[in-house]
Amino acid sequence: MSDARQILETAPGDEADVEHEFGGGVMGYTVGLGLAALLTATAFVLPALNLVWPPSLPIALGVLAIAQMGVHVVFFLHVTTGPDNVNNVLALAFGALIVFLIIGGSVWIMHAMNANMMNPAMHM
Amino acid sequence: MSATAAAHAASHSVARMPSHTGPANKRIVTGYGFWIFLLSDFVIFASLFAAFAVLVHNTNGGPGPHELFDLKSVAVETGALLLSTYACGLASIAAHRRSAIGFYLAMLVTAIFGAVFLGLEINEFYGFIDKGAGPQRSGFLSAFFTLVGCHGLHVSLGMLWLFTMIAQVFAKGFRDDIQRRILCFSLFWHALDIIWVGIFTAVYLYGVYL
Amino acid sequence: MLGKLTWDAIPFDQPIPLAAGAVVALAVLAVLIYITVKGWVPYLWREWITSVDHKRIGVMYVALAILMLMRGFIDAVMMRTQQAVAFRSNGYLPPEHFNQIFSAHGTIMIFFGAMPFMIGLMNFVVPLQLGVRDVAFPTLNSVSFWLTASGALLVNLSLVVGEFSRTGWLPFPPLSEMTYSPGVGVDYYCWALQISGVGTVLTGVNFVTTILKIRAPGMTYMRMPIFCWTALAANLLIVAAFPVLTATLAMLLLDRYLGFHFFTNTGGGNMMMFMNLIWAWGHPEVYILILPAFGVFSCVVPTFSGKPVFGYRSMVMATMAICLIAFMVWLHHFFTMGAGGDVNAIFGTMSAIIAVPTGVKIFNWLFTMYGGRVRFTVPMIWSVAFMITFTVGGLTGVLLAVPPADFMLHNSMFLVAHFHNVIVGGTVFGALAGMTYWFPKAFGFRLHEGWGRWSAYFTIAGFYVVFMPLYVVGLEGMTRRLQHYDVGAWRPWMMVSVFGVLLALVGIVLEIVTIYVSIRDRESLRDEVGDPWDGRTLEWSTASPPPEYNFAVLPHVDHEEYYWRIKQAAARSETLPEEPHYVDIEMPRNSATGFVAAFFATVMGFALIWHIWWMVGVAFVGAYATFVAFAWRDHEEHVIPAETVARNDHARRAARAKALKAYSPR
Repeated sequence: MSDARQILETAPGDEADVEHEFGGGVMGYTVGLGLAALLTATAFVLPALNLVWPPSLPIALGVLAIAQMGVHVVFFLHVTTGPDNVNNVLALAFGALIVFLIIGGSVWIMHAMNANMMNPAMHM
Repeated sequence: MSATAAAHAASHSVARMPSHTGPANKRIVTGYGFWIFLLSDFVIFASLFAAFAVLVHNTNGGPGPHELFDLKSVAVETGALLLSTYACGLASIAAHRRSAIGFYLAMLVTAIFGAVFLGLEINEFYGFIDKGAGPQRSGFLSAFFTLVGCHGLHVSLGMLWLFTMIAQVFAKGFRDDIQRRILCFSLFWHALDIIWVGIFTAVYLYGVYL
Repeated sequence: MLGKLTWDAIPFDQPIPLAAGAVVALAVLAVLIYITVKGWVPYLWREWITSVDHKRIGVMYVALAILMLMRGFIDAVMMRTQQAVAFRSNGYLPPEHFNQIFSAHGTIMIFFGAMPFMIGLMNFVVPLQLGVRDVAFPTLNSVSFWLTASGALLVNLSLVVGEFSRTGWLPFPPLSEMTYSPGVGVDYYCWALQISGVGTVLTGVNFVTTILKIRAPGMTYMRMPIFCWTALAANLLIVAAFPVLTATLAMLLLDRYLGFHFFTNTGGGNMMMFMNLIWAWGHPEVYILILPAFGVFSCVVPTFSGKPVFGYRSMVMATMAICLIAFMVWLHHFFTMGAGGDVNAIFGTMSAIIAVPTGVKIFNWLFTMYGGRVRFTVPMIWSVAFMITFTVGGLTGVLLAVPPADFMLHNSMFLVAHFHNVIVGGTVFGALAGMTYWFPKAFGFRLHEGWGRWSAYFTIAGFYVVFMPLYVVGLEGMTRRLQHYDVGAWRPWMMVSVFGVLLALVGIVLEIVTIYVSIRDRESLRDEVGDPWDGRTLEWSTASPPPEYNFAVLPHVDHEEYYWRIKQAAARSETLPEEPHYVDIEMPRNSATGFVAAFFATVMGFALIWHIWWMVGVAFVGAYATFVAFAWRDHEEHVIPAETVARNDHARRAARAKALKAYSPR
């Protein structure tokens, strides 16, 4: 509505100031594409190369995935930690917490049940 | 005005800075609303991920991830979707500059790569069903087909939306409300790629290597 | 051509549902004919059905909720009378019918009674309290309402066409799988909830956006009334929890329709995964129901105590703490599953912890009353009854949160008594308090005090007489959902309980009488000024009923108790604030999108339940076309000229100025 507000808030997906950036934002998307491609390629190639100690592989892949999600959020969705983005980031953090609770909680609970109740599926 | 009074006024205005100036403009409201909607969509996927993680070992004597997944095809799918997302970003820049030709072209590229992705996925599903590894085979395959299929369904509905968006720009031009919908569409399309990152890691890579 | 649908779907051999269905169908038909003959259809279409005004939508939500609460109450009467007579006999309800009744009772009460009531109150109140003209997405709001109504219609349709689910208010597998429930009952349940669930998620999106992005100038977070805070928390929970329900029911539907193996007991399914997921939604759901009620009490208690709410900040913190912890306790609904001592201990501890912020709130309300000039009006009677009843319910809840105790009480009548104690004592009392409190704002006249008082007394007494005996039989080992029993010790308690139903019935009849009498005597109950209770929040600053645009000029809020302060200042100086400068106001145009989309959703749901695949396709195309048609509109808004705004506001100011003389400032 007012100009002061305009500065303080950005819609998710909008860049704070597209006009003043070199290439009108094409640069941002291209950098994002490059980083994402690099991370994806690493994730696909890494297990085959035997560069990583095998038991730590899931953690390495998880870190790569989270890093790539971060790249997408920043370069494609333009959700950043800037002051104009507080609400957007808070909403994202809330969502991430819920996703973590649901997946983590379910896996933990069901694993504990399978272990205690001797679910035949676990012994196949 | 005396110096102290001016200083007082200045400090006052600084203190007032974060205070609230009234309802936000429509673009912020629409974008934020859609952002919240997307978070609820993420939670749907979280439930499906949870189901997959719990059921992944329940192969019921049927084929498991090792026997089924072909990482090469998944890598190509991933690339297609990534390029599609990039093209979608270019489309929103074209919309911002009100370049209709640029917008149509970029959206078309988005759609083509989206179609490539969907084609590969459908091909993969057919291959599994052909091998007798359909979703009815085991709990693992039910969860796999539902999680990946739900993402595919989102991409398909996104394609329907994409062409509706092209038609809207063609019929109405870059009106403010159309611009807001383009913003929502691009959020949607980028979000689908984020979910795909989760899928190719947690379903395919974990499935094959763990 | 018509899938599974044949004449066998109509229960000609079961007189009770057939007669009930026929009576309802005839009543609906009679109402429709009456409306048409009176020529009210254009008015209803223009002013209500296509309305995108949050106040109208709120009123429609509450009307739907009251209708459904009564429908659910009829089920409750049947259950209590059945258990009163079914001692060493079969009673009058055969098992398959009894099972449908308790399933329908829970489903209707939670999804189409309690939830729409709360969402209706939020719809009506939140934009007014935030000092703005409407919600963030007015047309979407209408879509939400009509999708909810569509779900309610499908559930009630199952009474006549086919059958309803027999698996309880949550369709636990494997009982709800095709093998054990081959009928359409579970499908009715699932599709009705999928459709209304979409509506609920859209409501959540709408209100989170409204509260975070659409507030009057100066209305910072820490100046929002508590009701807005609880509405924000409840809607965040909706956005985060309802997708889990959607996904879980989708998995169950895939099992039923396409032979998947999510929750089956063969083929590598895991039925306990359903318990896990459904309660990951189910526990936040109870806070979705109770938080808005907390908000209502946080408005009612300060107003009728003549004091600001005690401990505003602690109230906000408690609300948001509940919002987060609500997602960390879901396992306490299935301690007996066998997840082990460590898992049970952690979730038991979290369940005890979540009682703390709730306790903070109870003390805050008590301290708000302490030292205040308390007026025991009807909303206040409900509030005090709530504080006592909810504390009892909360304490039995903490008892159930102790895993070893839960192993004894799981699925017993003690549990039934506990959750009715919190849902009726919390949500329903809150809903009725809110309805009585905001009724004059919605319609311009108060509800009759005397009749309302007796209605409250009877309902509250009825509640205690019905449910306290259930705690006892629960401790004596009676499990829930028994169609008949042969333990003599339970019998007397069941008879006491059924007497309580009679008391509650009197309470409900008196509530209807209250509404009737109030409409009849509306001239003497008229609220001319717009502030009948000497309120403290912004909704009382505008006229009753408020104009379409709520406020002639958006207020500039500069304090937590902004309206209270300008009211006191005006009373002291005996002059109203300066007349503002009126400008044209743009308001969103009415839209049939919600109604038409819900029509197609209903058709699609019905077609999916009966496997009429071509009809599913037609309905999908119809729904898509509706949204495209909406997107193709060129004029979204209509303008209310400044002269009209000024004329309305002059009338309001004249009434205020007259009332100012009689008002003694505090």
